[in-house]
Amino acid sequence: MSNLDDTAGELRDPEFDDVASRPHRGIWKSLWHDPMGRSGLIMLGFVLVVIMIGPLIFPFDAQSFGTSAASILQAPSRAHWMGTTELGQDVFRQFLVGGRISLYVGLSATLIAIVLGAGLGLISGYYAGWRDTVLMRITDFFLVLPTLPLIIVLAALFGQSILVTSLVIGLTSWPQTARIIRSQVLSLRERPLVQRVRSLGAGDLRIMRKHILPNVAPLIFANLALVLSGAVLAQAALAFLGLGDPVQVSWGTTLHNAFNSGAMSQGAWWYVMTPGVGIVVMVLAFSLVGHSLDRVLNPLLRGEQ
Amino acid sequence: MSVRYLAKKLTTLVVTLYVTVSFNFLLFHVLPGSPIQLLARSGHYDPAARAQLVKLFGLNHSLFTQYFIYLKNMLHGDLGFSYVFRKPVTTVLGGAIGNTLLLVGTATLVTILVGVWLGVMAASRAHSLTDASITVTSLGLWSMPDFFTGMILIFICGVWTHILPISGLVTPGLVTGPWGHFVDVARHLVLPALTLTFVNAAEFSLISRNTLVDVMVEDYMLTARAKGLRRRTIVWRHALRNAMLPIVTATALYVGMILGGAIQVETVFSWPGMGLLIYNSVVQRDYPVLEGCFLLFAIAVIATNFISDLLYQVLDPRVRRT
Amino acid sequence: MSLLEIDNLSVDYRVGSGSLRAVDHVSLRVEPGEAVGIVGESGCGKTSLGLSIPMLLPGNAEISSGSITLADHELVGMSEDQLNQLRWSAVAFVFQGAMNALNPVQRVDRQILEAITAHEAKADKHEATERVLQLLDLVGISPARAKSFPHEFSGGMRQRAMIAMALACRPSLLIADEPTTALDVISQAQILALLSSLRRSEDLSVLMISHDLSAIKRVCDRIIVMYAGVIVESGRTEEVLGRRGEPAQAAHPYTQALIGAHPDLHGERVLAQGLPGHPPDLSKPIAGCRFADRCPYAMPVCREVVPPTLAISAGHIAACHLLSKGAS
Repeated sequence: MSNLDDTAGELRDPEFDDVASRPHRGIWKSLWHDPMGRSGLIMLGFVLVVIMIGPLIFPFDAQSFGTSAASILQAPSRAHWMGTTELGQDVFRQFLVGGRISLYVGLSATLIAIVLGAGLGLISGYYAGWRDTVLMRITDFFLVLPTLPLIIVLAALFGQSILVTSLVIGLTSWPQTARIIRSQVLSLRERPLVQRVRSLGAGDLRIMRKHILPNVAPLIFANLALVLSGAVLAQAALAFLGLGDPVQVSWGTTLHNAFNSGAMSQGAWWYVMTPGVGIVVMVLAFSLVGHSLDRVLNPLLRGEQ
Repeated sequence: MSVRYLAKKLTTLVVTLYVTVSFNFLLFHVLPGSPIQLLARSGHYDPAARAQLVKLFGLNHSLFTQYFIYLKNMLHGDLGFSYVFRKPVTTVLGGAIGNTLLLVGTATLVTILVGVWLGVMAASRAHSLTDASITVTSLGLWSMPDFFTGMILIFICGVWTHILPISGLVTPGLVTGPWGHFVDVARHLVLPALTLTFVNAAEFSLISRNTLVDVMVEDYMLTARAKGLRRRTIVWRHALRNAMLPIVTATALYVGMILGGAIQVETVFSWPGMGLLIYNSVVQRDYPVLEGCFLLFAIAVIATNFISDLLYQVLDPRVRRT
Repeated sequence: MSLLEIDNLSVDYRVGSGSLRAVDHVSLRVEPGEAVGIVGESGCGKTSLGLSIPMLLPGNAEISSGSITLADHELVGMSEDQLNQLRWSAVAFVFQGAMNALNPVQRVDRQILEAITAHEAKADKHEATERVLQLLDLVGISPARAKSFPHEFSGGMRQRAMIAMALACRPSLLIADEPTTALDVISQAQILALLSSLRRSEDLSVLMISHDLSAIKRVCDRIIVMYAGVIVESGRTEEVLGRRGEPAQAAHPYTQALIGAHPDLHGERVLAQGLPGHPPDLSKPIAGCRFADRCPYAMPVCREVVPPTLAISAGHIAACHLLSKGAS
């Protein structure tokens, strides 16, 4: 126990260390061993390959329209694997491009939500006291506000670019994360090791970086997957209601077009099912990974074996 | 339930409502790009209507005064005037609330019953094949956007088989007695309610299952088994009764989600409720109606949370005070 | 004919990919009207042994060998329906931690009534309600408090209510698992006195599981000492633990250590300090005596050969190599 830096490393608290020292590789491994986690990862890999590589092989030209009445709302064929739209565009190619937009918006919204949620949760849980009270009142208020209606209102007011959509979803999806992170941080700061390091005079930032953040990181990660699935769903709903970016066609936008063009009454199931199944698979992949991570991490975080 | 607790909760309720109303003001009246600000400056708006608007919201006054005029209007139940319907927003909302209540109420009721039942099935056979399949099915259903589920049902029950109506509240032009009307509405209700139930029952069964699994390992569950009670008695009387507490809290939190689903479902099935109103007011840029709908949704969720807090007090003897 | 006969009972827990033997070939008997105490540190298998009798082991545990006979019924392999009939009417349980053993959202009288109606389908509602009040009266709870919720009782009262509930179906065997843990000293004394008097007035056999030697001394005729899943010593309580004026005649070093580490009233903390080291890891095979690593008298033979169980006097047995040489 010579100087502070050594001390922090030397103080060994088995319960605390259990989580801290566990390599993140272990989490991936247990995720892979969980049937739910494995199917989620496989689905996720599949989706990523399709929407990242797909458009390179089957490029989509937004300006190419069907030239004759016969090319409109065609059922799947060899020329058009997933049929055509009411404008005679290829559904499959549009699907490949649309997935990128859905994922892009989902990811950027999630990034905003997680940074906000985890940040507020950390501050709230670590400092406790009045900061906690104020932040949690705000969090509770946003937790209670109906999210999708709020997103719709914001999107209606502030426009329909993918930037606005990402911002709007991100700014409304953080409260749950803040709550979860806060309660974990609250219990972490009471752990003997943190108490001891603090009594030895370590700074707040240092304690947060060295002792709190590494322990909530897996939790943030599990939450990220769940927020992502919610964000993709929210983006789809927004686009379906006509509040998506009209230029950057996402899966939700395709469904909006399918619904509003009357394609459904003509029985054009391929037009609806293709982007719809895309959304379901992407959301399911994220939520499977999220739930599985939650299951893998929870006993760990509770200190059970 | 103590008077003090009730007073505390009522205070929270009032404060939350006040904050919500103010938040609403901020969204629709203050933020740059908010409709009132845009309208006040826009030149091509009908001068008479614009003058009325300026008067109604006190746009020629300071923001502070506008806020008080807004609060006063709220207290008088004046939510403004719809550009599209050319009627007070309250009148427009009044025509839609009942339909949304019918849809959301039916769906919530079925959701709770089916969700809890599935949760019990999964939890009482925790880690079995039944459990796994209920969990995976629930996750799958949860991953479906409400509007997509609705579209699939339209294909199956409407486009391909014509067994159920897929649009509206009643069959246009149908002349029948009260019973015939009831049956007609009920038939129109089936698909939208079913859609809303699918997604939410999935979520609900997961919550119920996890809560029940936690309850199952409590000491009193071992006591119940040791007493030689039948499995069904143990699960329904001892486990579920204790699991109800977190489930009630969860229900309140999910009302917001159910309302979000209602917007999509009402749009897909042209169900003339507040969700369809939101969709139409977005498309037609009828901001006063959008504002009114949002406010009403927020109040509904806040009120539900308040009720669930009180219900929790009644259900849990440990916090109950006589 | 013994009331309870356990022969060669082994209980295995599935842990991860392996398994852990919590109870290893244990045999014991409880005679009608007798009170037997099982003592040992936490994790020695005493609770698993208790739970296995009415087949209440958790899902990841199974009885891998042996038999349990209660009043001539073989319980191992019995159907769940048959077991449900015997549970509470033949063997009732008083659980550890009265805090949570009662359902927190059900009134106490309902919980007791429920036990009666579950076993006596034809029970008259009035008579059954009457009996609930009598039972509460028997354990010293005023009928006026019958309609309370568990959280409205003190810890001691909850444990009394639990005992009243255990007596509801007039069982012949009462298993009490740590009945006094987590209670204050006065409540502990009262609960022990209550158990001692009830076993005589209600003609009960008692199997009491505890880490607390003084509790067992006060209630039980016979004591069984368990260590790491096996019985290391058993005999008359007075003989093993001693009696006023007479020294304890515990033969096994573990029992001696327990007594030595246990000068006063209660607490596992004292015990852990008195005995350095931990019990062995039961998921791995153990050669020789399980206590050898912590035993102050351990000899080379102790780590190689499982000690035989030897009779010391009538009804007093112990499993230790020291005894076979006749030295201690």
